Amino acid sequence: MTTTRFTLARVLRRAWGPVRPVLLVGLPLAAAAEALACAGLAWRDGNANRAIAALEAGQDRPVAADAVPELLLARIRFLAARDRLDEAEPLTAALDGGGAPALRALAQIALGNARLRQAFARLEAGDLERATPLVGLARQAYRRALTLRPEAWDAKFNLDVASRLVRDFPERGREQGEEMQADPKTIWTDIPGQPRGLP
Amino acid sequence: MSGRAITTPRHRRPLRALWLAALLSAGLPSPAEAQIGTVVVRSPRPFGLFVGDRFAATVEIEAAEGFAPQAASLPKPGPLTAWLDLTRVAVAPGPVRDGNRLWRLSLTYQTFYAALDVRRLDVPAFAVTFASEAPRATTSAVAEVPGWPISVSPLREIQPPPVADPVEYMRPEGASPRRDPAVPRTLAGGFAASALAGLALLARDRAWWPFRHRPARAFAAAWRQVRRLAARRDAEAAYREALLALHRGLDRTDGRRVMGEDLAGFLARHPAYGALAQPLDRFFAASRDAFFGRDPSAAQRTCPFPDLVATARRLAAAERAARGGGAA
Repeated sequence: MTTTRFTLARVLRRAWGPVRPVLLVGLPLAAAAEALACAGLAWRDGNANRAIAALEAGQDRPVAADAVPELLLARIRFLAARDRLDEAEPLTAALDGGGAPALRALAQIALGNARLRQAFARLEAGDLERATPLVGLARQAYRRALTLRPEAWDAKFNLDVASRLVRDFPERGREQGEEMQADPKTIWTDIPGQPRGLP
Repeated sequence: MSGRAITTPRHRRPLRALWLAALLSAGLPSPAEAQIGTVVVRSPRPFGLFVGDRFAATVEIEAAEGFAPQAASLPKPGPLTAWLDLTRVAVAPGPVRDGNRLWRLSLTYQTFYAALDVRRLDVPAFAVTFASEAPRATTSAVAEVPGWPISVSPLREIQPPPVADPVEYMRPEGASPRRDPAVPRTLAGGFAASALAGLALLARDRAWWPFRHRPARAFAAAWRQVRRLAARRDAEAAYREALLALHRGLDRTDGRRVMGEDLAGFLARHPAYGALAQPLDRFFAASRDAFFGRDPSAAQRTCPFPDLVATARRLAAAERAARGGGAA
């Protein structure tokens, strides 16, 4: 036992000779490279935060598809708030590719809100035919958001709002029609999209 | 386990199954499925579910030893009905009790039912096929997992107060999440500090500024001088000064004046420079020629200037290796 430890110590001491100069030169070089890389990341984050603040303030900033997820989300929200949903589509795809579920859920909520606002505008104008598919799109977006993040309470609330605009009736193929026990006509009376001016 | 349990009764354990049987009138196993025992559905919280909530259920199926659930027959994650998604399915074998193994199916559902009032909904029933892994014949049995009720709750009142603009019914979007640059900034600071520390260690090892006059690096100082002299124009004077610089290095290393005839003693006292015996010997010969000989130019033939530089460099390297490692 002692002999092996002795030889092991000798091997280590002998190995230390050639390793030492390499370590002495390599250590500061590697640390400097890491420091530069981290400084670059911090700089990128600072830039992204400034762009997010500008987008929130209503100033448009071009955002590439390879931007950081938070910036992608801010731009999707900016576009969704202005009904430019076609432009938001490639950014949503990019965010789905590399973003955290919480951010992807927020993007879906923004898209759902845009659809729901459009639907409200149609309902206000009395155009029920064209409002219905928009409500369906909004509900799909909220549902995707909840699949990504079940505790997204804003998505739950807005999905509830959208669901009361257009109820989906149970399909014919279902075995149990339990939810039909309650008379739907007595309950589904509220339509939040009532035109203004009504009591 | 707390939770609601629904079973399909079976013949071997009538007492335990009896009160549970009252809950369910349907779903009796057929005699052909004797390999399947009780099927119990447990749900830790099947009530108070809002739209978008996930809820879990554990299905315990008793199956005869040797029977295992077939992966293809398990319910697949995905939408089950218009308002219900199955998000996760996992199956694990449990303990064996009197020839029966208890299989546990862990299921996670997500409801999308936007309820107007508290109401009962049924999670659809499903069947799992069990097969025995006998070498020849494959026997299979089907375990019927009954549907079980959950109760969903509304998020809002039925008739919210009227608002001027229906958009006000919606929840407003909060502030956009930001990047947190603190983490990379801290890391950059840490790495920069360790780079500086590493650089200080390297400077100390190489006797760079501010460790230029480190006593343990006499040859490093000598090499630095020799290198600087090698770039000078008046070769003759520079050569002599370079010889003197190396002499100083040897003297400081040994702590006394080292002459040509002391070389053997010096190498005995400092074995780290043993590999440099020949170049040192030539150096002393050249030094004798240059300072005391008749023909100073003979010195540069014995030991040309580039050789002198190389010797100084090797001495400095040997010094780092010997004294840096803690030896010598």
